[in-house]
Amino acid sequence: MLCVLLAAWAAYANPGVESEHFEEDLVIRPLKDGRIGTRFSFTTTLEDVSPRNPESLDGDDDSQHYTLFPLTLGQILREYAITELHLSLNAGKWNYDTWGMPDEPGVATGGELWAWIADGASTSVDQRWQGLRNALAGLFCASLGAMDEQRTTSPSRTFRPEGSLPDWGHPHHLRHAFLPSEHVCTENLTPFYKLLPCKSFSGIATLLNPHRLFDADWHGMSIHVLWKEGVGIQVRLTFQAVLDPIRNSWNKKRDWSLKSLFGRRIEQSCPISSASQIRVSIPEDQPHLFTPQPSGVDGSYAVFNVSGGEWLFTDVEMRWHNETSFQNRFTDPRTATGKQNSVSALSVQRTLKSVNKYRGSLNVAVTNNRGDDIQTTYLETIPWFVQLFLHTLRIECNGTRRGDLLDDTTYTPPIPHSRPTLYQSTLTVPAGSTVYMTMDVTKAFLRYTEHPPDAQRGWDLPPAVFVPIKAGQKGSDELERIYTPILLVDLATPDFSMPYNVIIMSSTLITFIFGSVFNLLTRKFIVTKVEGNHKTDETGQLESASAGGKD
Amino acid sequence: MSEDADDERIFFQSRKVRWSILAAYWAVILLALPLWWTTTSIQRLSLPTSRVEDLAQNDLRFPVHIVLDSSSGVDTKALSVKLQSLINARLSPDVRAWLDVHVHADPVPRVDAYVVKFDASSQDTKVQGRNLILAGGGSSPSKLANLLIDLLTPRYTAADEQKIAKYSPRYRLAFSLLNENAALGKSAIGWDLNGTLSRYFIPTLQSLQLLHNFTIESQVQFHAPLAFDPTQITHLGDNAHGLTHEDLTVFVNSAEWSLSSSASNDPVLHFVLFIPSISHRPLYLLDSERNPVKSSAFILPQWGGIVVHNFPSDVTSHLHMTSDYLESIFSAFGLQLFSLLGVPELPKGIISLDSTPLSRWQMDSLLRQRSLENVVSTTETLHSIIKLVDQIENMPVKEDVKGDIQNALDSLEMAYKSSDSAKPALEYSARALTLSSRAFFNPGMLALLYFPPEHTYAIYAPLFAPVSLPLIAPVVREFLAWRKAKREKQKVE
Repeated sequence: MLCVLLAAWAAYANPGVESEHFEEDLVIRPLKDGRIGTRFSFTTTLEDVSPRNPESLDGDDDSQHYTLFPLTLGQILREYAITELHLSLNAGKWNYDTWGMPDEPGVATGGELWAWIADGASTSVDQRWQGLRNALAGLFCASLGAMDEQRTTSPSRTFRPEGSLPDWGHPHHLRHAFLPSEHVCTENLTPFYKLLPCKSFSGIATLLNPHRLFDADWHGMSIHVLWKEGVGIQVRLTFQAVLDPIRNSWNKKRDWSLKSLFGRRIEQSCPISSASQIRVSIPEDQPHLFTPQPSGVDGSYAVFNVSGGEWLFTDVEMRWHNETSFQNRFTDPRTATGKQNSVSALSVQRTLKSVNKYRGSLNVAVTNNRGDDIQTTYLETIPWFVQLFLHTLRIECNGTRRGDLLDDTTYTPPIPHSRPTLYQSTLTVPAGSTVYMTMDVTKAFLRYTEHPPDAQRGWDLPPAVFVPIKAGQKGSDELERIYTPILLVDLATPDFSMPYNVIIMSSTLITFIFGSVFNLLTRKFIVTKVEGNHKTDETGQLESASAGGKD
Repeated sequence: MSEDADDERIFFQSRKVRWSILAAYWAVILLALPLWWTTTSIQRLSLPTSRVEDLAQNDLRFPVHIVLDSSSGVDTKALSVKLQSLINARLSPDVRAWLDVHVHADPVPRVDAYVVKFDASSQDTKVQGRNLILAGGGSSPSKLANLLIDLLTPRYTAADEQKIAKYSPRYRLAFSLLNENAALGKSAIGWDLNGTLSRYFIPTLQSLQLLHNFTIESQVQFHAPLAFDPTQITHLGDNAHGLTHEDLTVFVNSAEWSLSSSASNDPVLHFVLFIPSISHRPLYLLDSERNPVKSSAFILPQWGGIVVHNFPSDVTSHLHMTSDYLESIFSAFGLQLFSLLGVPELPKGIISLDSTPLSRWQMDSLLRQRSLENVVSTTETLHSIIKLVDQIENMPVKEDVKGDIQNALDSLEMAYKSSDSAKPALEYSARALTLSSRAFFNPGMLALLYFPPEHTYAIYAPLFAPVSLPLIAPVVREFLAWRKAKREKQKVE
C-alpha cells in the first residue's frame, strides 16, 4: 500500500520544494574493537539563498518562508546575521587510536560552538555572538550562555570556514568557544528532533532512540550551517554514537541489526527526503553476511536505500561468518607493540600535573604512528585561571631537546577575569617517534563569586586541538581535527560559609577590643584599704590596691 | 560618700571626664548613623504619583463631526438637531466620556468629517470613504442615529472581546502548514505561500498598516500529531472523525508542534492549516449535539486561527497546494486576523464601495477603540506601579524606571492633545503603553524584592549586639549614680 503511494508520489516529483532539499544518511562502521560506529546525518539545503548581510540588520528582514528548513534555526541565523555556524554537544572521550577519525570531526567532549560572523552591522560581532549563544542555549536547552568572553577565542588557523564566505566588503570574524562541562542528554535531543522535517516519526530519524543512544559508549550531536557558493545554505544535523553490540550480546558475538543496535526499525519512510540511505562500511578481510542484500555498493560501503525502492525494508542485519565469539586483538596502542595498531596517524596524550594548588605543569605527548614526518597545528585555548608560562616550554624527542620542532607560534596572553589564553603553533612530529612538550602553569585564586555551585569538583579545561597539515595541502577545506581529552584542574576553593564566619569572627574581635578599651575609659578606679593587713602596715605606707568596678 | 569625693579629685576619675568620654562615643555613633543609613538604603526615586493620580480625570476625547449633505433637498437643519439629541441620548455614558459627536447641517472645513448623503436613486445603504450614502433618500432619524452609532463605535460581544489580541505596533504572523502524518500518504508537501499571500492576504494587511506592522514567516511540518484521538462519528452514512468543543481547547499540541519561535519579542499570531492524516479523515468540527458544522475554521483567543482542511476525494497522492487551491483557506485566515485584531464588522445591510477590505468608517472606529484601550491599560499599569512601589519597601526605583514613567505620562498627554485625529493619538498611546509596561517589567526593580530581614539581622547582630551592651550599660550606670548622688545631696540639705 505504502509502496504504491510512494511510487505515485515519485511520479509527482514534488514541484513545490525544488528550492529546498532534504537528504538523510546513516553510516555504520564496524570498529576494530568490536564496537559499531554510527553517524546519522540530515542535510537540508536551501538553494540559491545567501546568508543575511549584516548591513541589513538595522532594517526589517524579509519574510521567512520555509518548507523543509527549520524555521526556528533560520530565525536565529537571520536575526544575528550568522554566515557559518557549528555547534556540537558530545559526551565521552573519542578514542582515535581504536576508532580512527570520526565521520564528523567535531568530537570535543562537552559543548563546542564556533561561528563565522561578518562585520558591518551597527551591532558588533561580539554582541551578535552573545545573542547567538543565548538563542541557541534556548533552542537546545543547553547552558551555552556560559560561553562568555572568558571562553571565547578566535583560533582562525585551526577552524577554517567549511563553506564559502560571501564578499560583502567587510571581513568575517571567527568566534569559538568550548564548554567542556556541558553534557548532551535527552533534553538536547528533543529540540534536535524538532529541527528535522520528519522529526523522529519517519525515515532514518526513527532510529534515534534516546534509550539506546544515551547508553552508547560515546555519543554526540552537532549542527552545522554553512553557505556554499552556487549551492545555497546547508543545514546539517548529525548524531554520532559508538555502540557496543558485544556488551548486549549473550554469546559475545558482534553481529548486529538495526533492531539490536537501536531497539527500533524503520517502519515508514520520510515522504519528503530526496535521498535516504544507510551505508555500511564493508570490512576488508573478514567474511560477513548482509541481510537483506544491499541495493548497491559505493566505494567501500554497502548501500541500502530506505525509500524509493520497489520494497521498503525495515531492518538491516550484518553477521560475521564463522565467528563464534569476538576476540578483541586490539591491544593498548600506547604500549610499544601496540603502536603500529593505532588507526590514527597521531596519538596525543595531555595531562596536567600539579604539586599544589598554585603551580603545575602541562604535559603533551604527541606520537607519530606513521613512517613519515607529520606537521600539525597545535591549539590551546585555556581559560585565564590557568596561566601558561611560555618561557618554560621544553620540547623533547628521543631524549634530546628539540626546540626546532615548534614553529610559527601565535600567543594571546590571558586577561584575568575576562580573556582566555590563545596559543597556536605548528609542530613537526618526526616519523615513528614521540614528542614531549612540558610547560609550567600557575593556577589563579578565584574570587568568591567566580566559583561555580559545585566548586569542589574542579574546573574542566577545554581540549587541545591538533590539525595535521597534509603535505602540499596547506589551507585545504577538509581539515581533520584531533581533540585531546579534557582536563580537570583543582583550584584553591574557599570554605563557602566563609563570609559569615568572617563577619562573626571579626565582629567578636572588634567587640572584644572595643569593650575592653571602652571599659577602661569609663570605669571608676578606687583605692581600698585592706583591713586584714594592719599588722604589716606599721610602716603606714604599704597599701594593697585593687581595681574594681563600682556601682 | 567621702570616698567618691576622694576619687573625683583625680582628674581622670572625675565624673565629667567619664561623661565626656561616653558622650564622645555616642556622638560618633549618632553622627555615623546618617552615613550608615545612606550607604545601606535602596535607591528609591520619587515617582510622579500626583501626575499618575490625576490621570483619572484627564480622559481621552475624540471629537467626531458628522455633516448632513443638503444637496438632495432634505431639511438638514431640523434633522441635525434631532440627530444630535438622539445620538447623545442613545450613546451609553461611558462611551460619551470619550466620543464627542457633533452633527452639522452645513459643511465643516475638516478632512476627517463624516458626510451623510441622501441618494433617492440608490437601493442599498453604502459607505464610501467617510461618506454614508443612504438608500431611498433616507430613513427615520431614529434609525439613522442607530446606524451612525453602530458605525462609530464597534460593538463587541463578550466572546468577540476575548478574542482580541493585545495591541502591539508590530505583530509576527506565523503561517504553519501542519500535516498530522505525511508518511501515511495523501498529504500536503508544500504550498505556494508567497503567491497566495500576495494575492489574498497582503491587501488585508495593507488595509491595517495604519495600526500595525507585520512580519510574516511560514513553515511546513510533516508530522504534527494530535495529543488526543478525535471522536468517531458517522456522517452521511460514512465513518468520519470529529473535534468536540473540548477537543478544540487542547487542539494545539505544543509539545510536538514546534510553533514557538525565539528570535524576537513581538507578539505572534499563528495561522495553522491542519491536514489530518488519512486515518483521521474526514475530520469535522462538531457542535454541542456532536453534529458536524459547516465551518472548518476556529479561533483560539489571542493566539491565532486554525483551519482544518480535508482533501477532496479526488486527491490520490501528495499534494502541492497552489494559490487557487488555498484561496478559501486564506480568506478564512483573513477573517480570523480581523477578529483577532478587533476589526468591527459593518452593520448588517451596509455595502462598502471601497476597494480595500476595510472601510474608512471601520478603520476610524478601530483606531479610536485601540487608542482608548491603550490609554486605559497604560493608566492601569501606571497605577499598578505606583501601588506596587508603595507597598513593597524593598523595591528599588532607579532613574530608568522613573524616566520611563515620566515619558509614558508625557506620551499620554500628547495622546490626549492629539485626540483630534485618531492616528497620532494611537501612536502616542501605543508609545505610552510600551513605556509603561517596560517600566513595570524593569528587571532592576526585582533586585532586592525578596531580601529577607533575617539576613540583615544575621549580618548586623554579631557586631551590634555585643558592642551596644558596654555602650548602654555605663549610661545606665552613670544615670543611676547621678540620681543617687542627687538624692543624697537633697538628704544632706
